[in-house]
Amino acid sequence: MSGEPLSYLEAAGPAARPLTQLAWGLGAVSLVVVAVIAIALAAAIWRQRSTPADARALEFVGGSGEGLRWIYVGLAISVPVLAVCTVWVLMVLGQVLHPARPTALTLQVTAHQWWWEVRYLSPSGGEAFTTANEIHIPAGAPVRVELTSPDVIHSFWVPKLAGKMDVIPGAKNVTWIQAASPGRYRGQCAEFCGLQHARMAFFVIADAPADFSVWRARQLASPTAPVDANAAAGAGVFANHCASCHTVAGTPSGGLVGPDLSHLAGRTTLAAGMIPNDPRHLSDWIADPQAIKPGALMPRTLLTSTERAQVVAYLQTLN
Amino acid sequence: MPTPFSHLGRITAFVALASLASALSACQKPPSPKQGLAVPVEHLEGWTGATANFAPNAAPGEWPSQGRDYANTRYSPLAQITPANVPQLHIAWTFSDGAQYGHEGAPLVAGDTMYVVTPYPNIAYALDLTKPGAPIKWSFAPNPSPMAIGKACCDAVLRGWALADGKLIYNLLDAHTVAVDAKTGKEVWRTKMDNVENGATMTMAATVYGDKVYVGNSGGELGVHGWLAALDVHTGKELWRAYNTGPDDQVKIGADFNPFYSWMKGKDLGETSWPKGMAVHGGSASWGWVSFDPELNLIYYGTANPSPRVPAQRPGLNLFSAAVWARDADSGMAKWAYQFTPHDQWDYDGVNENVLLDIPWKGQTRKAMVQFNRNGFAYTIDRQTGEVLVAAPFGNLNWATGIDMKTGMPIVNPAMQPKPNIKLENACPTDIGVKDWQPSAFSPRTGLLYTGMFNVCMDVTDHPQSYIAGTPYDGMEMTRHAGPGGNWGAFIAWDPVKGKKVWEIKEKFLVMSGALTTASDLVFYGTVDGWFRAVDARSGQVLWSQKLGSGIVSQPITYTGPDGQQYVAVYAGVGGAAMVQSHQAGFPARGNTLYVFSLGQNGLHGGPGMKETLATGAAPAPPPKADN
Amino acid sequence: MKAPLLLLLSLAALTACDQSATRSSPGPAGAPNDLAALPSGDLAGAGQSKVGSDIANPLEGQPAAVAEGKRLFVQMNCAGCHGYDLGGSMGPNLKDKYWRYGGSPGAIYRSIASGHPQGMPAWSKALPPDQIWKLTAYIQSYGGATASGDYQGALQGDYPAKTTSPPGGTGAQAGAKGGTAPAAQTANP
Repeated sequence: MSGEPLSYLEAAGPAARPLTQLAWGLGAVSLVVVAVIAIALAAAIWRQRSTPADARALEFVGGSGEGLRWIYVGLAISVPVLAVCTVWVLMVLGQVLHPARPTALTLQVTAHQWWWEVRYLSPSGGEAFTTANEIHIPAGAPVRVELTSPDVIHSFWVPKLAGKMDVIPGAKNVTWIQAASPGRYRGQCAEFCGLQHARMAFFVIADAPADFSVWRARQLASPTAPVDANAAAGAGVFANHCASCHTVAGTPSGGLVGPDLSHLAGRTTLAAGMIPNDPRHLSDWIADPQAIKPGALMPRTLLTSTERAQVVAYLQTLN
Repeated sequence: MPTPFSHLGRITAFVALASLASALSACQKPPSPKQGLAVPVEHLEGWTGATANFAPNAAPGEWPSQGRDYANTRYSPLAQITPANVPQLHIAWTFSDGAQYGHEGAPLVAGDTMYVVTPYPNIAYALDLTKPGAPIKWSFAPNPSPMAIGKACCDAVLRGWALADGKLIYNLLDAHTVAVDAKTGKEVWRTKMDNVENGATMTMAATVYGDKVYVGNSGGELGVHGWLAALDVHTGKELWRAYNTGPDDQVKIGADFNPFYSWMKGKDLGETSWPKGMAVHGGSASWGWVSFDPELNLIYYGTANPSPRVPAQRPGLNLFSAAVWARDADSGMAKWAYQFTPHDQWDYDGVNENVLLDIPWKGQTRKAMVQFNRNGFAYTIDRQTGEVLVAAPFGNLNWATGIDMKTGMPIVNPAMQPKPNIKLENACPTDIGVKDWQPSAFSPRTGLLYTGMFNVCMDVTDHPQSYIAGTPYDGMEMTRHAGPGGNWGAFIAWDPVKGKKVWEIKEKFLVMSGALTTASDLVFYGTVDGWFRAVDARSGQVLWSQKLGSGIVSQPITYTGPDGQQYVAVYAGVGGAAMVQSHQAGFPARGNTLYVFSLGQNGLHGGPGMKETLATGAAPAPPPKADN
Repeated sequence: MKAPLLLLLSLAALTACDQSATRSSPGPAGAPNDLAALPSGDLAGAGQSKVGSDIANPLEGQPAAVAEGKRLFVQMNCAGCHGYDLGGSMGPNLKDKYWRYGGSPGAIYRSIASGHPQGMPAWSKALPPDQIWKLTAYIQSYGGATASGDYQGALQGDYPAKTTSPPGGTGAQAGAKGGTAPAAQTANP
């Protein structure tokens, strides 16, 4: 899971592309500057003075005005280059400030220690829904992202889709992301936020617009009561032991402390991109979260192994 | 020609006739309207032209339902107590029931019996008005679950009860409805209506129209799923239930549904105007009053605040919270709705009473209803269509600058929108509104409405809340203080046609009692510090006040006793939402006493003539009038 | 003659009246049953088991535990009933000296874990023991609790001379608690 690189050398959308181009461009300018300096330095070393070093060598040679000419030449080259770079940076900042067309989708992303809560707002006001750690977006459309934090400063960073944006408690920062084509893009908290900062990842999954509509409709659908006896028992265990922290929308479980689990089975990872979402890992996680992610706010729940298996069975039905 | 009667015979006949008359008058079953006592309604002409249908036109001396009539006017045609003699009003008898919570209901009087029900533990008493001191005829203890005490947000109260089909019918705090035989006090039926473990309680007055009992739940602070249901008055069987949030089939919206404003039209809006899964614990309970128009065959009632009270958690209009429904009284299908406070952010329930009035409007008579909403606007609404005719502030508010009369939407003041975890100062009114559930009264003689109200503002901090079944789903941390002027309460007269205040009496404490109007142009109300007052309905002049043993958060009534005297009755037992002022110096202690007032000098219930009553104990002397 | 008839009628009317009075005469007057005679809601306390009530809180006084307890107090909706300042509203005041079910750390733990009949939920399923101890530590930090060793004394109303509890909470009447607690925080059903 963590094998996917957080590469910022290639862009996958218009919010990141100017930045990537800028990075490449400034990189190229820097490389040229370094090369020129390196060549000049090498030439200087190669052309070392024939006279032996003595006190006279340290004398100021600019008196004649001959030496200053090189400084004028240097300034004449570097100032325009820097000016062009500055203008370019400002233009890029302007370009990525707003998407070219209005956003059709707004997400409220809340950065918690150490996971990401994602709420999808709808233009009509109602029909909002919440998920965690995996952000589905329609490919080709700009998406507005509003960022808040209830605890400490975090930073929202999906290198291929947008630049970093800090998440400040008590403030609402806004950024936007857009994926040119369907794909899976890794994101990461980019501001140290405590013990498990390194394990506060997420994924942006860009779907073809039709697929996104299907995904959204499924998120809005009410959960069906589990048929399997084991899973049905698990629903009861969940309501008793898990519901005061976790939400399964459409059921009486409505806790806000931990991630929303309404469609957990549809997600690929657990614990903010840390472990794969399969029954074995899920069971291990429920058994002892502290062994996997020390310091995480999820406590050991003291379920029996039977109860744990039932809860896992129930959570598998939430797709 | 021989005379038909001999001289002796004539005298005998006279005595016989007199004794027949006196015997009948001693019986008083039901009390006959006495000439000059009750004023017929049809000869009245109020200042505003507003009138009401007083069906079912109960006997003038009775008070058979909480609102006294279907239209919820709380107007009595009795006129023995007048502005001239009201200073002589004094306590005739009292009754204490021992219950420690807020006493919010109106005693009911039918025949020669008075019926009262206590707040939790919801014990019913029938009091015999024919006997000195109105002794207990029977009592009934339903033993509701004590768990309900901890699930009732704002005190374990009960706002009223109903008499119908020979039964006393009322809600228990633990979300049951019970019917008791009015003659014997024996339980006839009991129906479980909701699950108290999940935070549902029932505090509203069960209301009976025809053969249906209308009841609703409370618990908007605990994330219940609000509903109103109709039960069969004979058996207690549930006939239909209409939820206030959820898809159309749950909300009982069909093809007939036709709200006046387009933003309330659409499929399943009770669900889609909420975040996914939140409508099912979206509060929006029905704990207020139900009015009935027998000609249109529609019932009208309001819905409470959306849950949780933190608006950031529930983007959307949150239909049909903080709204009023018009529904077919038989089928329960919705006819129209109007949401007073879309996406309510301050806890402005829409459950207050709807008084059904007919008002002159642009040269025509419109069938209207008036609601003094918690949000501070008094609405006069066409009760056939749901069109808002008048919406005017009747007290201090700053959450909105007005109502857009084209869309019916309030114009919200953005500075007064609470944000999570940020303290918002001086938002007006508070969660209890400019007026809470305490019902207003209408007088056809003035055409005005009379209501107690509040002048309170709040500093509020919203804390996002988890829904945990059976715990508060609330999230508003508040401190409350008096608004401009420093008076917490007031009592006003209101012109429902022009939308204007006519007069106002400022009170240091909240005015959270119901109002009562009489045909002698008197208005009665009580204050939370325990003053019971009679006011001139026309001038607003206070004519009489009496300090009672506790604060008054109940509803005064008036009736004619078996002795032909007009009585006024009111409970003093502070509690309920009035406790928001309990930190104020001088706030009264709890109480549980019913006070009954009359003008009589040597009444049925006390005075020198009552010596024998003490001695005879269980078999009291017959009332003095019967001795004649 | 019609006069005797009228007399008879009037007598009959009087009799009818008497009969109706007899019919409506009450049974034994007074309280309907034993339950009504009890003060509603205060039937608790010493009657329950005392086992474990003198156990000390392993996390008592630890600032991190108190802070965590404060967070849980809001997150688990405790504040909705007991007040954001612990001063009580729907539920009892938690910073005064009156503890219906015992005010020692062990008794407070048991109240949280097992619940009580008047609407207090049992949290032992939802919260592991260390979190309940953290909540207990937070409640203890307001000073109303009695020391674990003083359980028996507190039952008798004998408190140690030292009082650390701050004066009564906002919105709470003196002596008002639980059954008679004012609705200071929330105000509508």
